[in-house]
Amino acid sequence: MTTLSALALTLLVLMLAVGGKQGLSDAFALLLNAGLMILAVILIAGGFAPLAVAAVIGLIVLAVTIFLSTTDMNVAGPAFVASLLVMTGVIAVVVVGVLFSHTGGFGAEDTEDLEGFSLTVGVSFQQVLIATGLLSTLGAIAEAATAVAAGLIELGDDATAAGRQDIAQAIIGTALNTLFFGFFGGFSALFIWFAKLRYPFWEVLNDQIFAGELIQVLFSVIAVAATVPMTMWVVGRRHREEG
Amino acid sequence: MRKQWLKWLLPVLAFLVAFGLGRLDSRLYRQPIGQVIAVKTVKSVKTVDNFDNQDRTTTQEATVRFLNTSRRGQTTTITNQFTYSGTVDSPLRRGTQVFLTKSSGPWRLSNFKRDAIVLALAAFTLALLMLIVRKRLWFISASIAVNAILFTLATHIQTDASRPLVWVLFSGLAIVFAVVTALFVVGWRPVCAVVVGGTVGATALAVGLGYAIFALTGYRDLHLEAVKYVTQSPQLLFFIQIVIGSLGAVLDECSDIAISIMQLDGSGKKRFNAGMAIGRNVMGPLITVLFMIFIAETFAEAVLWLRNGNAIDQTISWVMGLGFAQSLISGFGIVIAIPLTSLLATLAGKKEVAA
Repeated sequence: MTTLSALALTLLVLMLAVGGKQGLSDAFALLLNAGLMILAVILIAGGFAPLAVAAVIGLIVLAVTIFLSTTDMNVAGPAFVASLLVMTGVIAVVVVGVLFSHTGGFGAEDTEDLEGFSLTVGVSFQQVLIATGLLSTLGAIAEAATAVAAGLIELGDDATAAGRQDIAQAIIGTALNTLFFGFFGGFSALFIWFAKLRYPFWEVLNDQIFAGELIQVLFSVIAVAATVPMTMWVVGRRHREEG
Repeated sequence: MRKQWLKWLLPVLAFLVAFGLGRLDSRLYRQPIGQVIAVKTVKSVKTVDNFDNQDRTTTQEATVRFLNTSRRGQTTTITNQFTYSGTVDSPLRRGTQVFLTKSSGPWRLSNFKRDAIVLALAAFTLALLMLIVRKRLWFISASIAVNAILFTLATHIQTDASRPLVWVLFSGLAIVFAVVTALFVVGWRPVCAVVVGGTVGATALAVGLGYAIFALTGYRDLHLEAVKYVTQSPQLLFFIQIVIGSLGAVLDECSDIAISIMQLDGSGKKRFNAGMAIGRNVMGPLITVLFMIFIAETFAEAVLWLRNGNAIDQTISWVMGLGFAQSLISGFGIVIAIPLTSLLATLAGKKEVAA
């Protein structure tokens, strides 16, 4: 058995043991998302426009993550609508960020990994980066939207402004740690590289890979931050319509 | 109602101001910086590589005005070559600011100046957060700043340390991260000990389990040699990536569970079950958050591999494999943390009542 399949099987067992039926549903969602991400890479490499692929696959990823992680339609419905609205806004932010930062493609520190590769491959890496930026925020958007919708519905009609504020603070505070350490961990090797080769601060700030990575974190934080009021607005609107 | 709308313009304003300031800061740099004032295309040719990929290579000539150093105000001409794919290059546009270098011969483009857009997006993010979480923003920023400083210090110290010590150093750092962040999230209360205990315990168990599986399967199809930016042993870098990458998610989950349980009254069993229920609700989405981050990071390289005639399974295994492994082990931590923290919080809560 390969290491990856053994790891996957172990996670499935753990999720079933702790989560029961919900665990099975979560594991299924994770498997679907893994398949979708691989499909996205294959489609982009196959010549489809990266942004279009990211938008379509992104929509499905949001649907899978939200509808399989909660059984309550009163939570999943508004969470999904809010996520789609946020995703549209995030596309605009990502496009601006990527266009102005010249961070598409590979940086000077990647040179060794590129040896022997043809670099004129006919796929725009700027667009690939836009797709990456969009897709990497989706998990965080889905999580925040579900949490906000669930929290609001639990509060019910008694939701005061202070109560809503508490929910917003708790959810954003939580999400920021997850995002910060997630990205930090992913790129710790690069930071060690900077330290080892004694890059001065200004060079790090303007470095293609560092700037690209930092911008990516900011995209995710912006996405989560925007998700909170957006979900509150969607839930509130539905509530008023029904009432 | 109109007033409500207006406040959402604040982030955009912050973005514009920071972007403007960032473009004016050239005089803080000692390296020569220029701004493109005119560009013309000199040549543009179609290319076809060995894999039948069609691309276009364009050569442009740009007039650049120096923004700093003693040459401030002078102009020079640089040439820049970029491809449609932009794998390692990027086009110059009017207004683009670049670092310039010269050894012998004409001035050359050495790097793009990116601080303005980075600062602008950071300002946008801060303004947006301020509108939503208000005073908590300072708390959150302070927590992240302290962790960033600690991490930077650690990366500098470890460059001089010997190898076995580095593993200990980074494990210790992870514990310090957990303690500092937990203090910021829940404050100096008994629940803090539960959060730290749950986080460190779950992460240690997850990593232990992960490495046991690595050993049992003989690292089959797990290509540690594909770890990027290698300055140390790839094993060490991968270990650091797993531990630090999952720490935030596990810690967030532990604090959610611990805080809720410690507020509850009732029997130990009832409180334990309440913790399990909260954990079950968040574990799926949390694993997805990390999974999307870790996998999206491998996209560009995966596309490059596929366009270079590599098979799909080979690309997945070599380029995306480590991201998958990292996500799965983080998943272990997120799942294990649920019963562990529920148990710790239930026990700790009891003691508090007894005392």
